[in-house]
Amino acid sequence: MISIPDLRIILIDDNEIDLLLHERLITLQQISRTVLSFTSANKALEFLSSNISLHRIPPTIILLDIQMPEMDGFEFLTAFDTYPAKIKSQCYIVMVSSSLDYGDINRTNANPLVIKLLKKPLLAKDLKETVGEIFKDF
Amino acid sequence: MKENRIRILYIDDEVHNLNAFRASFRRSYEIYTANSAQEGKLLLKSVDVHIIIADQKMPVTTGVEFFYEIREILPDPIRILLTGYTDVEDIIEAINKGHIFSYVKKPWDEYELHNTINNAYEMYQARKNLKEKISELEKINDELNRFIYSTSHDLRSPLMSVLGIINLARLDNSVKDPNGYVDMIESCILKLDGFIQKIIEYYRNSRLDVEYEKIYFDSLLQDCIANFKPQNTAIEFQLNIDQPVDFKGDTFRISVILNNLISNAVKYQKPDETNPKVNLTVKVEPHKATIWIEDNGIGILSEHLNNIFKMFFRSKNNNKPGSGIGLYIVKEALNKIGGTINVESKYGEGTQFEITIPNRNDFDS
Repeated sequence: MISIPDLRIILIDDNEIDLLLHERLITLQQISRTVLSFTSANKALEFLSSNISLHRIPPTIILLDIQMPEMDGFEFLTAFDTYPAKIKSQCYIVMVSSSLDYGDINRTNANPLVIKLLKKPLLAKDLKETVGEIFKDF
Repeated sequence: MKENRIRILYIDDEVHNLNAFRASFRRSYEIYTANSAQEGKLLLKSVDVHIIIADQKMPVTTGVEFFYEIREILPDPIRILLTGYTDVEDIIEAINKGHIFSYVKKPWDEYELHNTINNAYEMYQARKNLKEKISELEKINDELNRFIYSTSHDLRSPLMSVLGIINLARLDNSVKDPNGYVDMIESCILKLDGFIQKIIEYYRNSRLDVEYEKIYFDSLLQDCIANFKPQNTAIEFQLNIDQPVDFKGDTFRISVILNNLISNAVKYQKPDETNPKVNLTVKVEPHKATIWIEDNGIGILSEHLNNIFKMFFRSKNNNKPGSGIGLYIVKEALNKIGGTINVESKYGEGTQFEITIPNRNDFDS
């Protein structure tokens, strides 16, 4: 469907049903062959930092939930911002949330690391469009 | 019982006055004495008194000066000034500075002083109760707001998961559903979500500060119509906007008001009406905007008209789904921005709402 052969998608969400839903959606729509799911932002950060030893980091889209226990989406962004450019430059962060809170929405839109905010339930159409926008120059 | 006694500090540079005071009042009150403002201040550091009585004529610091000095650190004790007849200037000064409750002339009349002390104590208690009630109410209000906020979020997120599951089931055709049960589940979920969104709307209205910005009614109402049109494509919307001057208002609240009213006009149509109509008329003037929302729907029973703005009130004559909160939010939002609403309705013929909203454009300049 989308012709980035080594594209991978990282899902970060404390809600396991949403993780499963998003994973199935991505697979069904053939958006990416590699989907990595994390139930906590911490585990995802650990994984990403282990990537530093890779020879080449594949293009990565991170679907990030906002409200999570321990480390929420915004705290993840702050931590991720300190990562080396080698990793950061390959990662595209899309926030996914059911929040209707103006504060959450404004903070998300103001964050330079965030490409877009998508609302839950995540729709196949929105996700495909967003991926298409990110890789339109490829 | 001792704990409940009235505690009084009496400051006077004449020791025999202090002694006389003690002798007369020790059986009724818990008494502390000091023979200078300095000593009084020291004593106040260790004792929590209800009433302070101070003589006006003292060397170094006068009674009024003393009260003035402690007004910031000790606002609670009630102050009584003891003074001779000749000190009218001082009394006026003390009262004008607002820090004394009463003055008693010297030499004091025992009965009068008793009365004054008791009145002062009543004042002390009343102020204390009021303070406690205020902080209690602030706490409850704050908790309620946080409760509404987190409930609406925590309720909403599993609902969105259910909608996600339904979407996925349709996408991969994995669920056989010849009776359309999934559609029914979806419509129930959407209804519940609508209600949650109303609660969030209410919460935002009660909590967010009012912010004024330029409003263009034409585009605002076009957006509203675009939102509601799909719900009933048969409805003919008529938009009539007269906005010769700029209008400034609170965008969030005004769109909440219009959305709720237009939503009702769309929802409460007669099922057999061949020509359902919603007319929207706006007239902007330098000081206010008036908006009329008129429909030829089912109308409201006249005995219900007084109740439609009450929380959770639902007119029984219709079997349309509703939460009974929409018009309540409209009223609350109008209260926040100083607007008014009027309704006229004929049962079976239609309803017209008229709202006026002050134009904040003038207030700026």
